[in-house]
Amino acid sequence: MNRAHTAFLMAVAILVVLVSFSGCKGVSPSAGAGTKPAALPDEPDVTFKDLQGKDVTLASFKGKVVLVNFWGTWCEPCRGEIPILIALQEKYSSKGFTLLGAATNDEEKTVDAFIHNTQFNVGGQQMTMNYPIVMGTDDISTKFGGLLGMPTSFLITRDGKIAKRYIGSLNENQIVKDVESQL
Amino acid sequence: MKTAMRFAHVFALSGLMLISGVATAPAQETAAPKNPSEIVTTHSFVSLDPVPRGKEFQAAIVVKIATGYHMNSHKPSDSYLIPTTLTPQLPSGFKMAEAVYPAGRDEKFPFSPDKPLNVYSGSVTFRLRLTAEDSAALGAATIPITLRYQACNMSACLPPVKVPVSLQLQVAAAGASSHAAHPEIFTAKPTS
Repeated sequence: MNRAHTAFLMAVAILVVLVSFSGCKGVSPSAGAGTKPAALPDEPDVTFKDLQGKDVTLASFKGKVVLVNFWGTWCEPCRGEIPILIALQEKYSSKGFTLLGAATNDEEKTVDAFIHNTQFNVGGQQMTMNYPIVMGTDDISTKFGGLLGMPTSFLITRDGKIAKRYIGSLNENQIVKDVESQL
Repeated sequence: MKTAMRFAHVFALSGLMLISGVATAPAQETAAPKNPSEIVTTHSFVSLDPVPRGKEFQAAIVVKIATGYHMNSHKPSDSYLIPTTLTPQLPSGFKMAEAVYPAGRDEKFPFSPDKPLNVYSGSVTFRLRLTAEDSAALGAATIPITLRYQACNMSACLPPVKVPVSLQLQVAAAGASSHAAHPEIFTAKPTS
């Protein structure tokens, strides 16, 4: 076997590996596209506080598909996707789904005023946020593997496991497809 | 034979480059902001060297914002948005007359297509009008300043952060000779 043949065989082997890789991952460069994160806990053991200071565990939602959305009143991209989240809650909450908004780097009173006073245009209808809101903390973010930016959302399966992570603004078509695939 | 060899090498190299791309650029990371320390860099300047006691001088904080990022201006378009602020921790013997923030620019973003946001991007220069009073200690002085900002890219934001900035200057006796420093910064019109 000469050097050319050896190099060619190496190249074919590399191509086989490449095809295997790309077949395993649905990689897309679009913002908000979700993938199953490799380095994240499968089932985060997390206790949030609601706006009244009561404990809300993620485990208490087992049996439902949950989209945990880390957001902030100060975060314009987070606010920009709230109409999508309201519509998701409106459409799928009766089918075993819930949004859970985790306000981060915010104060309870600011969040409380925001969720009660801010109207969003959802398909031409003015609506306020219609899903449970809890407070996020650094400790909670860490249990989700840390936040690289906001908004960041995690799609949780009915048995409490992270199915996908979404960094940045959600793509509406993608998140609808992903939620439906879990229901 | 040489052509086959070259083809095989290029093929192998292309494969390696593609594998590298697949392995290091998963989709969720492309939307993730950079590390905060990579997004904003700061440099500070003083308008006089040295600064005589009793004479007003200026400090300039030049903030460079990474391409593709912006931060809210000092007067953001919404009360929920976090303004960019400079807060000096003045040592004894210094007083501040004014902090001068340039106007931001109204820009629309994919996440806010209808409502423009008032932001800084690129390079922005903030100024402080300061005076070393008669009680200021002579010699080298440091004025710590806190820059608070909240930055975003086109689809995600970083949490609000406070970054320390340090202003170094020399204080001289009242009436001591001094020269204007960094005229390229202090004679320019404030920009954002």
